[in-house]
Amino acid sequence: MSGSTLVIAGRIINQLVRDRRTIILIAVVPLVIASLVGVSVPDKSILDYTAPAILAVLILFFGFLLTGISFLRERSQGTLERLMASPVSRLDIVGGYLLGFLLFAVLQTMVLFFYLIYVLNVNYYGDLWQILVFQVLIGIGAVCMGTFFSVLAKNEFQMVQFIPMIIVPQMFLCGLLWPVSQMPEYLQWLANALPMTYGVSGIRALMMQGQDLLDIGQEIGVLAAYAVGLLILSAITLRRGKG
Amino acid sequence: MKEAAIAVSNLSFSYGRQKVLDGLSLEVPGGISFGLLGPNGAGKTTLIRLLVGLLRAKSGTILTLGKKPSPRTAHLIGYMPQLPSLYAELSVIQNVEFFARIYRLNDRKQRTQRVEEIIKLVDLWQHRNKSVTNLSGGMKQRASLACAIVHNPPLIFLDEPTVGLDPELRVHFWDYFQGLTGGGSTLIISSHTMDDAAHCDRLAFMRDGNIIALGAPDELRQATGQAEATLEDAFLYFIKHGGVNKNVR
Repeated sequence: MSGSTLVIAGRIINQLVRDRRTIILIAVVPLVIASLVGVSVPDKSILDYTAPAILAVLILFFGFLLTGISFLRERSQGTLERLMASPVSRLDIVGGYLLGFLLFAVLQTMVLFFYLIYVLNVNYYGDLWQILVFQVLIGIGAVCMGTFFSVLAKNEFQMVQFIPMIIVPQMFLCGLLWPVSQMPEYLQWLANALPMTYGVSGIRALMMQGQDLLDIGQEIGVLAAYAVGLLILSAITLRRGKG
Repeated sequence: MKEAAIAVSNLSFSYGRQKVLDGLSLEVPGGISFGLLGPNGAGKTTLIRLLVGLLRAKSGTILTLGKKPSPRTAHLIGYMPQLPSLYAELSVIQNVEFFARIYRLNDRKQRTQRVEEIIKLVDLWQHRNKSVTNLSGGMKQRASLACAIVHNPPLIFLDEPTVGLDPELRVHFWDYFQGLTGGGSTLIISSHTMDDAAHCDRLAFMRDGNIIALGAPDELRQATGQAEATLEDAFLYFIKHGGVNKNVR
């Protein structure tokens, strides 16, 4: 990691901190969604089953959206061009985004986690630090995904269209609402190719079954592979001298 | 004459099937202000983006300060894009500080001093803590200029830097540009107004992706054969009479 990566990450944190409305939305909106689920489920055991998945899905959703829009703005306001003409590398730029947004993903996870546990009384059995580490991994995947898809979008309207294309299908297929094993076989095949499925499966294993990170090696491996793959793709699509 | 700051030979570039630059050659000596003059679509911005390394040439060679444009030489170059290109949520000082750090002004004391100096120079010190969103168009241009030159580069590219500026501010900008060349920097300035052209040490008139005339403003005026000719008259003269790469020296 170079100094430029940290400089870019610091700038992103600065930008978000100065945008108070966004900060409030980042903190409050997940709590509102969790509360809606919390008061609408008829059975407490359903909430215990759904809550870990909500934790994972919301991090993916907000990580994707915030990074995607921010990166797109970086291009549309011309600052990306300025950065590309400077001595920073493509990996510095993508890495800076990753670090900057990850901080907010971790904070969001902690706020949501404690809300689920202490306000909505969700039962959990795992270690907090292991849950956080795994959430960070989902956050990394979300930031890489947001960065990559923002390169494909030409404006914010197009970026928002990626939500029903990329995020919503994953929400339905990841096991948030019903187990993947109860889906038709061809949908299971599709679900098993999507990163969110591994995010939900991993966080449930940590929170509901009290397993360790070492027990969910497959989930960690798939999420890490997605993150690295998307990070490389993002850096490639950002190449200098494109034209 | 100093060593060439820019040497371009037989440069061509297309966006898809649309040819934007067509076999352009150019040499710019160091320590001068050099104007790229021409109407919209003449290829000025594309040429600057190629020289900065944001685009890759389809054919031809480019040397800036004796080297091919690359991230390794990027710290020697200052670039002010056509749009202000600033972080809207950040203040003026945060924007300038960010670019100072990106251009590796690592010593905190020196960086703080330089950031302060450059913001004062573009006359934004009293607005340094304002968000860019709350600045006027002219202030944004000045903040953008500060970000482009905070690292004191020897070669500076300014793409239409005076667009949207009022006449007083335009004069202020040109005073400052002349100060930069006086300090040894080379300035490449694109513009489509002849008012800007008159301030440059040398000019290239561009049209349809090539240079139709090259020389000092007075030389270009005199080439028309009319005593009272303006640069606009000269430009029209070269469109009418000049072939590709007609060189006035």
